[in-house]
Amino acid sequence: MIEILETGPFNTVQDLGRPGYRDIGVSASGAMDSLAVRIGNSLVGNDEGAAALEIQTFPFRLRFTERTGFAIAGTDGNPVLDGIELPAWCAFTAEAGQILELRQPPKLARAYVCVAGGVDVPSVMGSRSTSLRGGFGGYAGRPLVKGDQIIAGAASTNIPLPASGLAVVEPSIVLQDVFPSSPDGTLLIRALPAGEHGLFADDGKAFWDQTWRISSRSDRTGYRLSGDAIVPTETVEMRSHGVVPGVIQVPPGGEPIVQMSDANTAGGYPKIAGVIECDLWRLGQARIGSRVQFVRSSHAEARAVEKAVERYIADLRQTIPMVKRALKAMA
Amino acid sequence: MSEIDFSDPKTIAFLTEVLTAAGVDGLEISSASGKLRIVVSGGENHVSQAARASSKPAVINAPMAGIFQLRDSASADLPHSVAAADVLGFLRVGHVLVPLKAGHSGVLSRRLIEPGTLVGFGDALFEIEAQS
Repeated sequence: MIEILETGPFNTVQDLGRPGYRDIGVSASGAMDSLAVRIGNSLVGNDEGAAALEIQTFPFRLRFTERTGFAIAGTDGNPVLDGIELPAWCAFTAEAGQILELRQPPKLARAYVCVAGGVDVPSVMGSRSTSLRGGFGGYAGRPLVKGDQIIAGAASTNIPLPASGLAVVEPSIVLQDVFPSSPDGTLLIRALPAGEHGLFADDGKAFWDQTWRISSRSDRTGYRLSGDAIVPTETVEMRSHGVVPGVIQVPPGGEPIVQMSDANTAGGYPKIAGVIECDLWRLGQARIGSRVQFVRSSHAEARAVEKAVERYIADLRQTIPMVKRALKAMA
Repeated sequence: MSEIDFSDPKTIAFLTEVLTAAGVDGLEISSASGKLRIVVSGGENHVSQAARASSKPAVINAPMAGIFQLRDSASADLPHSVAAADVLGFLRVGHVLVPLKAGHSGVLSRRLIEPGTLVGFGDALFEIEAQS
C-alpha cells in the first residue's frame, strides 16, 4: 500500500483515458503525458495503460508501506527516495517504510508515479482515470489528499526489477529527430488546419506565425494562450459540435484555447487547428508561462511521428524484460 | 583432500595468473568462509576480497554486457566521495539503462573504462576506496 504524506491540489489517478463516451458527455480524461505513463508502466512490467499517479503540484511525498516496485516518468527532476536522489525515468524497488519525494521539476510540468501492478482503483467505463468534472473514476472521483491510502494491484508474474533498478533513455532524446526544437527554447507543436481555418485571413498567418504564451488560466481541461488576438474575417453562428483533446478553438476574445485531456465534449467556437496526437504529450508537459508556437503539419508527417513513437515503445517493451532476465540470470 | 584456502595471497596470485594467461576477465568463488572475486582488466589485477575488510579498493563490475555511460558530466571528475546508494553510471542496452550503484561508501578514485565503451559481464568499471 502507498500512503500520501504530502500533496498539492489537483494530483490525480490517471491512465490512458476513457475514450468512446463523448456522445454521452463524458470527457476522455487520461494522463496529460500519456507517453510517460506508457514508459513508466513498461519499466515496472505493467500493461502500458495501467493507472498511475499524475503529479502536477509539488512537493509530493508518499510512503510505501510494503516492498513495492515503482517507476517515475515524465519529469526532468530527480525523484528522492529516503533522501537519496534517483535518476529520472527510472524504476526501483522501495522497501517497506521508504519515503518517495517529488520536487518541482526544473522545466517540465508533470511527473508520473507508476507502481508494479498498477494503481488499483475501480474501473469506470473502461478506465481508472479521475474525471474531476464528473466526480468519478480515479481515487473516489477526486484529487489526492494527505492521508489517502492507495493500493497497488497484483504485480504480474513476470521478472522482478533488478536490485540496481532500471532506467530508459527518455523519449525527447531518443526521438529528437522526430520532435522539432527551436534554438530559443520555444516549444514547437505541430498542428493540422481544422474546420474553420478558412475563416482566418492570410491562411491563418497570425495564428501560425506568432509565439503564444500559456496563460495562468490553463489546466487539464484546456490551455488558454495569450498573445495578439486573432479574429475570423466573418462572424459565424455555429452549432455546438464534438471536440476532442488537441482541438484549438478561437473564442470571441481572439486568444486560442487548446483542449487538453479533460477536454469539453462539445463546443461552438471556431476551430482553427488541431494538435497532432503525438505532440500532445509535449504540450501536456509545458508549464504555465512557457512559450509555444504551432507548426503546420501534414497527415503524412503525423503518421510518421506516430510510427517512430510506436517503434520506441515496442523496442522498450521488448528490451526491458530481456535486460531483467539477463540480470536475473547473472545475479 | 585438504580444502583450498582462498584467503591465502599465494592462492589468489596463482589464480590471477591463470586467469590472465587464459584471457578470462574474472572469477567468483563462494564458499562457507566467504566470497572471493578476482577481476582481470587490461593487464592489471584488481583483487578484492569480500570476505573480510580489506584496504584494497572495492571494484564495481559490469552486471551484464552494455555500453558504459556516466550518469552526468559532473560525475566525470575524480576523485569524489560517494554513498553506497549513489548511481555512478549506466550500462546502456538499446534504449534501456542499467544503473550502476556504488554499493560501497567511500571515495570514487578510479574509472577503469572510458565512457562509450562496450563492456562485457564482469568488466571492472570503478574503484572505490574505503574512507579512512
